[in-house]
Amino acid sequence: MDLAFSAEDDEFRDEVRTWLAENTPSERRPREGQAMRDYDLAWQRLQYDGGWAGISWPVEFGGRGLALTQQLIWFEEYARTGMRGIDARFVGLSHAGPTLIARATEEQRAFHLPKILRGDVVWCQGFSEPEAGSDLASLRTRAVVDGDELVVTGQKIWTSFADVADYQELLVRTDTEVPKHKGITWVICDMRSPGIDVRPIKTMEGGTDFCEVFYDEVRIPLANVVGVIDNGWSVAMSTLSFERGTAFTVDQVQLSSTVERLIEIARQRGLLDDDEIVRAFAQARADVAALRALTYVGISRNRRAPVPGPEGSIIKLHWADLSKRIARLAVEIVGPRSLALTDDDDGRWADRYLASFAHSIGGGTSEIQRNIIAERVLALPR
Amino acid sequence: MDLLPSSEQEEIISSAAQFLAATVPMLRTRELIDAPSNVDPKAWSSAAELGWFALGLPEDAAGVGCGLADETLVFREIGRALASGPFLSTTLAARVAAFGGDAELAAAAARGQRVALGLLGADASIDSASGAIDGDVQLVDAVDADLVLVAGPDVASLVAVGDLEGVESVECIDPTTRLSRATASRVRPVVSVSADVDPVYRRGVVLAAASLTGIAEATRDISAAHAASRFQFDRPIGVNQAIKHPCADMAVRAELAWAQTLFAALATDERRQDAEFHAIGAKVVAADAAERNAAATIQVLGGMGFTFEHDANLYIKRAHVLAHAFGDTRDALSRLIRLPAAV
Repeated sequence: MDLAFSAEDDEFRDEVRTWLAENTPSERRPREGQAMRDYDLAWQRLQYDGGWAGISWPVEFGGRGLALTQQLIWFEEYARTGMRGIDARFVGLSHAGPTLIARATEEQRAFHLPKILRGDVVWCQGFSEPEAGSDLASLRTRAVVDGDELVVTGQKIWTSFADVADYQELLVRTDTEVPKHKGITWVICDMRSPGIDVRPIKTMEGGTDFCEVFYDEVRIPLANVVGVIDNGWSVAMSTLSFERGTAFTVDQVQLSSTVERLIEIARQRGLLDDDEIVRAFAQARADVAALRALTYVGISRNRRAPVPGPEGSIIKLHWADLSKRIARLAVEIVGPRSLALTDDDDGRWADRYLASFAHSIGGGTSEIQRNIIAERVLALPR
Repeated sequence: MDLLPSSEQEEIISSAAQFLAATVPMLRTRELIDAPSNVDPKAWSSAAELGWFALGLPEDAAGVGCGLADETLVFREIGRALASGPFLSTTLAARVAAFGGDAELAAAAARGQRVALGLLGADASIDSASGAIDGDVQLVDAVDADLVLVAGPDVASLVAVGDLEGVESVECIDPTTRLSRATASRVRPVVSVSADVDPVYRRGVVLAAASLTGIAEATRDISAAHAASRFQFDRPIGVNQAIKHPCADMAVRAELAWAQTLFAALATDERRQDAEFHAIGAKVVAADAAERNAAATIQVLGGMGFTFEHDANLYIKRAHVLAHAFGDTRDALSRLIRLPAAV
């Protein structure tokens, strides 16, 4: 066991740090719509041109084929720039891309993976439905085979970035006669297909990149099925375990700098004389340190067994609880000025506080993560 | 960077677990509750022969030359097994003697000469220059011990029990631990070492965290086994989320405690500038994990959990003893906030 990075890794870190210092966009990211999409994709293109796209993706699929440790270094340095961990590129780079690498055909990979890495396209995820949330496998959006096409009718919900997406990883019901996990298919949906209607859902923090998507006899070529028809559940599960593995690293690392900034603010405002505040921040320091240590353990495990296991749920659950607690602590420190949703330092903490309520819901609720941990790590009965 | 044990380290873990299960299983530890000493002499001397008290000592001080990370593997198993006796203070005493220049005493401690752990009272103090102690002190596992280890963040001392006044044994909250009280009037140490020479206190913090992690893991496993096998209303109680989710939370706390303890041990071994930060973080997280997992286990077990017959109560009692070793959580948090941020 050791914590030290190799000389090669240190050199890599220097390279990353230098490149990010010179290339990170200085303009503020637009909050929504086409302007946001253009901003995120231009940033991806810049990374691609700099040779930083798909650091741990295999070389044959356009990646750099580097070790997970170097992916971690990239995430750590990226986090220090203050850029968002999750933006319109997230599903393509952290969900759909890894799933296509694991499960798609040569043709599908050759068509889609370069576009994702170059920043040509935005992907979104079509999993949840109004009647299929935590019980995802009960999804009802129906797909019927007609010649060499699937005809899809139904509704998806909680689809981030659907309003600006080109493609969607879509789960549909292709067999209604078998147990619910068995009749599901994972298919690539072109978001410009006729019959698709995207409607934004305004969230409690005011964002509009959250959407519901309606499908009215949308025709999707059978060639877009990933894996085989009716076997989509296993394909979807590989996507979800990627999400719970390393995809949240940037947010985790940023929690640490958030805590340090808040301690500085508390110090400036004379709040570090308050025992309760001191205890809360010191506890947050310890908890954030442990989260990082657990991320390192997870990466060490992934190196020996490449597909992330249910341990990813432990990281996700702890991050959700901790980031919500810290966001709440932030508005306490800021005091009454946190009531104003102004575009300044104090107001942005309020924004982050409101956004934090999603942390224990998105990507699988904390209740579902606890079920996964109890059943798959501790072998408790279902 | 690699936080998984190597195959040699896996060997340390499994041989320590097997050794403890064979020599001091819980039945034996319970027998020792009513014995004059809580130490099983055969287990203790075998542990000394295995080199447990010299594991982290440098080879030029007649030690095994392993790192603090290797020591955490052993202390995690000691915590998990609830083995009783002054393992922690004897191990660290060998270091104080070795780095303080008393090779003979170092060798004696490494051979298993028992050294108690001293807990300073709220008004007591240790002089950071001379290592002298003053005020009331509680002695943990002082049966058969002539010396007591008293450590603060700046200095660690070995003090002769004979130099203390009014030594009086009292019943400990943990029946597998022996406790006594005494007073020190400016007692100079037999030998002491400054934290600049060797951070003994910090090593104690990390090793206590390792044993606390062992407790957090053991209680998690007791709860999970009970939740899966105890039937009520014709189903295992573990199907209910009111049981299942607290078990999941135990797993989260145990994983975090172990990850941070390893991180802290390696940070000390590699002399990172933020080693102190991580050590305190480990103790905070592990003490919380041990106490809360043990408490939740008592609840999951229901009436059985409240009996003396079930072991759950022994885990929470030991967790409280360890939580006070090398600074309690209150003290740890007030130190942690004053340190520079982790690197």
